[in-house]
Amino acid sequence: MLEQILCIDDDPITLMLCKKVILKSSFSREIITAQNGEEALHHFNTLKYTNNKNKVSKKPELIFLDLNMPVMGGWEFLDHFTSDAYAEFNSAKVIVLSSTIDPEDLMKAKKYPIIIDFLSKPITQAMLEYLKKKIM
Amino acid sequence: MKSKTLKITLVYVIISLIMAIICHNLLTKYFFETRYSYLFFLKDVFFIITTAFIFRYILAKNESKNISVFKKLKKTNEEIKESNEKYDIVAKATSDTIWDWKIQEDKINWNKGIESVFGYNPEEVGKTSKWWFDKIHPEDSIRMSIKLYSFIEQKTEKWQDQYRFKCADGTYKYVLDRGFLLKDENGRAIRMIGAIQDITKQKEEEQRLKLLETVITQSKDSILITEANSKDHKIPKIVYVNPAFSQMSGYESNEIIGKSTNIFKGPKSDSEELKKLLRAIENEEECVIETITYTKTQEEYWVRFAMIPIFNNEGVITHWISIQRDITDEKKLETEKEHLIRELTQNNKDLKQFSYITSHNLRAPLSNLIGLLNLIEDIPIEDEELEEILAGFTKSTHLLNETINDLVKVIIIKDNPSMQKEEVSLKEVFENVFSQLSFQIELHKPIIKLKFDKVPLLNINKAYIESILLNLLTNSIKYKSENRKLKISITAEQIENQAIITFKDNGIGIDLERNRDKVFGLYQRFHNYPDSKGLGLYLVKSQVETMGGTISIDSEVNKGTTFTITFKN
Repeated sequence: MLEQILCIDDDPITLMLCKKVILKSSFSREIITAQNGEEALHHFNTLKYTNNKNKVSKKPELIFLDLNMPVMGGWEFLDHFTSDAYAEFNSAKVIVLSSTIDPEDLMKAKKYPIIIDFLSKPITQAMLEYLKKKIM
Repeated sequence: MKSKTLKITLVYVIISLIMAIICHNLLTKYFFETRYSYLFFLKDVFFIITTAFIFRYILAKNESKNISVFKKLKKTNEEIKESNEKYDIVAKATSDTIWDWKIQEDKINWNKGIESVFGYNPEEVGKTSKWWFDKIHPEDSIRMSIKLYSFIEQKTEKWQDQYRFKCADGTYKYVLDRGFLLKDENGRAIRMIGAIQDITKQKEEEQRLKLLETVITQSKDSILITEANSKDHKIPKIVYVNPAFSQMSGYESNEIIGKSTNIFKGPKSDSEELKKLLRAIENEEECVIETITYTKTQEEYWVRFAMIPIFNNEGVITHWISIQRDITDEKKLETEKEHLIRELTQNNKDLKQFSYITSHNLRAPLSNLIGLLNLIEDIPIEDEELEEILAGFTKSTHLLNETINDLVKVIIIKDNPSMQKEEVSLKEVFENVFSQLSFQIELHKPIIKLKFDKVPLLNINKAYIESILLNLLTNSIKYKSENRKLKISITAEQIENQAIITFKDNGIGIDLERNRDKVFGLYQRFHNYPDSKGLGLYLVKSQVETMGGTISIDSEVNKGTTFTITFKN
């Protein structure tokens, strides 16, 4: 079981669904959420700040990322997240969880080594079982 | 000669008579006695001797005169003979046909040319001028005879004429006839001699060239010919322009001949293209350029300008031929077309983006609904009505999801015209398809015959061919006849560079008379089955065509359906 995962999605129902399914299948102990890329980056910035005060907090081991979001979308988030500024966090793996069918998104995902899978919504228990086998 | 003989005889008779009378008178006057009769005898002897001397003198004179005449005659004779021989030799040696016409007697003689050139046997050749005139082409004969008679009447100096002369085989030859007149001392024409030259070949060549020339003069394309060499890096001087050029450019030929085509250069001319042309001229290479150019009145037009070097037998350039076409309209169309294509591409791109966004926005809430329904599954529900409602809710949600997924598939196939192809084993594909349908196959136990040995490998997209065969097989099972056992036969054949897959079942079939043009349409259903959506065959056709193949259907109600799929292989 993972310690902490981060779900980034602008849709509150999707986030609620994620929480429920993940908890139900005992995939992770803790689930934190962000409504868009900027909010997620903000979270990492806060972590960085508090860590500097010698108070080690948990950092997410896995990120479920949506692509189409207002303010800051998934791709922009990844561009920031994979930069040196977030070096201490970007060992986390990213799973794109989207309802996109644009083949360009699929092609683009292959260019990011941090993305380990590209899955279609909705999140299901079967999907999580598959991921468990893949990463644990 | 006769009169001379008579004269001599007359003189002689007169002299002899005078002498006889004088002698007679003298003798009878002085010597009438008989003893002087011997005197008469003497007189006769004297007379005979005197006349003999006179005769001798006359004859000798005549003889010497005759000898000189004879000599003269002999010489003339020899000259005539020689000249005749020369004429014969020339007549034989020349390829011309020579005729000799005695005008007063109207007798005409032909040399052997009449046989060798025109094919007439000597016995066929007529002896009069009528025969000659009869052989002249009716269209030429009046003109020719007017010219000929005005020459014979010596109204004209020279005579030569071209006309068509009929051969023995009935065809006509173009001839050039030249003749001269022989006149008597009064200047009357008594004889005419002529030579006929066969100019059919020249005439035909002339006509051929005239015909070829019409290509240039009648051409709608402008044609101009220039000198070979250019001075100071200009286009060489023009030596000829055709009428189409004058029409296109506004320059009459006399205004432009001797000038360089650099005069077409104007502010909007493409200087790169013109440089290309000048380079080609320097290298003596063929060249085609397209540029804006200007008429005499400075109107601009687009021209496609080709320069072709003409070389002589020694490989030395002699001229340039330039063919030009006004392509203003063409260019305009091209620009319009480009504009249209750009617009269409943009529209298409926008639409595609729109379909991605729409499907995304539909799929996002739908996936939530499905996720939520999945969660409900694990929660026990006591209220029966609620359970019923939730069951309906679940079913509708899944149906909506399937429809949207199908549409997404269609969009992806349509969007992906150049998918990857690989060597695919048909046998393997079928194993995959069967394993996906193992439940239905187990349930209905159809008799399936496969024959792929002729086409073991197919260069194709694997996912598509699997989807195609899965759809066809599902259809066969779904629309099987209830009265007989389902039989499916699938064969593959290679004919030249095409692989043909035939898929045949004995199911309920489709009424093609009513539905032929709808069979492969989107959302077309032919049987009221609950889980038929009218998408399978549409997908099949899309996938076949995306891979560059074709599909056709043959079906009969209650007999079965056959699909024939053809791929290049």
